[in-house]
Amino acid sequence: MKFVDEFRDAELGRAVAGEILSLVEPGRHYKLMEVCGGHTHAIYKYGIDDLLPANVELVHGPGCPVCVIPMGRVDDGIAVAHRDGVIFTCFGDMMRVPGSQGSLLDAKAAGADVRMVYSPLDALRIAKQNPDREVVFFAIGFETTAPSTALTLKRARLEGLRNFSVMCSHVTIVPPLRALLESPDLRLDGFIGPGHVSTVVGARPFEFIPVDYGRPVVISGFEPLDILQAIEMILRQLADGRCEVENQYKRVVPYEGNLRALEVMAEVFELRPHFEWRGLGFISHSGLKLSDAYADLDAEARFSVPGVRVADPKACQCGEVLKGVIKPWECKVFGTACTPERPIGTCMVSSEGACAAYYNFGRFARERQVV
Amino acid sequence: MSADESCGSEHCITCGDDGVPMTVLAVDLDRALALCAHADGRRETVETALVAPVAPGDVLLVHAGTALTRLLEPAT
Repeated sequence: MKFVDEFRDAELGRAVAGEILSLVEPGRHYKLMEVCGGHTHAIYKYGIDDLLPANVELVHGPGCPVCVIPMGRVDDGIAVAHRDGVIFTCFGDMMRVPGSQGSLLDAKAAGADVRMVYSPLDALRIAKQNPDREVVFFAIGFETTAPSTALTLKRARLEGLRNFSVMCSHVTIVPPLRALLESPDLRLDGFIGPGHVSTVVGARPFEFIPVDYGRPVVISGFEPLDILQAIEMILRQLADGRCEVENQYKRVVPYEGNLRALEVMAEVFELRPHFEWRGLGFISHSGLKLSDAYADLDAEARFSVPGVRVADPKACQCGEVLKGVIKPWECKVFGTACTPERPIGTCMVSSEGACAAYYNFGRFARERQVV
Repeated sequence: MSADESCGSEHCITCGDDGVPMTVLAVDLDRALALCAHADGRRETVETALVAPVAPGDVLLVHAGTALTRLLEPAT
């Protein structure tokens, strides 16, 4: 397909890998973080790790929206799903995220009406088809997904739907990046910037990384050549002594983002004072809730959710994985007690989670570990 | 249920920072919706309010049922 095939050319890939090799200084260790779960998935799927010199290490960041949802939030969703007359809708991966008393899939097995949707619009359709039921959409995701939820809420308002509401767990990308950069146990040399979040927010919000922290950022697409070229661009900045935000994904990402999307988000959402991230704790102004103008469509207010904070299971090291402090296979329960079929931690749930991506594609080539 | 079954693809198209290119087949201007086709021919109704106006043949980047941007020809 156009826009896909030309970015999977093996010969070009080898050429870029050669460029990368020519840019690294022997004896220097390079630690680059790919922020986005989609990149993590692609890196393992296409074996990009194996094309890199041994001293270029990729660290997997907190950009999988399923993986950063804390257990208490899942419990809140399950509590709403068990209310009489509720149809609880969410994305597929979210159904398998474990809460303290099981997952939404377990709640469905126990009799709750939990349904998977591909988009918030599907949830709206279910609400129209079931006027005597309360339909709740469990909204997760970064700025990529938030506009979709915002537009759906505007449609619900326009159509006067009273049996539809949203449990908003959308998060924003910049605050956790700042938290990671402030973290003393993680030294990074550069960032592979999130491609599709940037479609919405643009490249400008990442300028603080070179300005305040002196680290290069290259916004990247998701095909193997995109990621290889982004790595090459970061290493070239480092070799040249430059430090800036560059956009490798120009065919998709405008530097200013999508202004219409930003407008609709500003109308429908407002920042929470703080939001809990799995593994990262509470981060100020990192989560979204419905604005006052849309408060009547807020499921949290409509159903008064418990809002109890639940600690992660002790055996699970998702927090360290999300911060890039350990590799997925270094977790004590990786691939044994915790697998994609029976996940303990969130990183093993979504196909974009670092643990699941590594379990599915990378675990047979582990001898190429970076030291 | 595996991740594949839950999402209908090996890569969850709805949950992550992931968009898929889709081609516009027909447009409903009044409702800001378009019928779009995946590369494999599957069809889906897509919200186009953020990229309107669109026309048949346009290639859009779609995430969670919403078009986020129009794809541009890669520079040669």
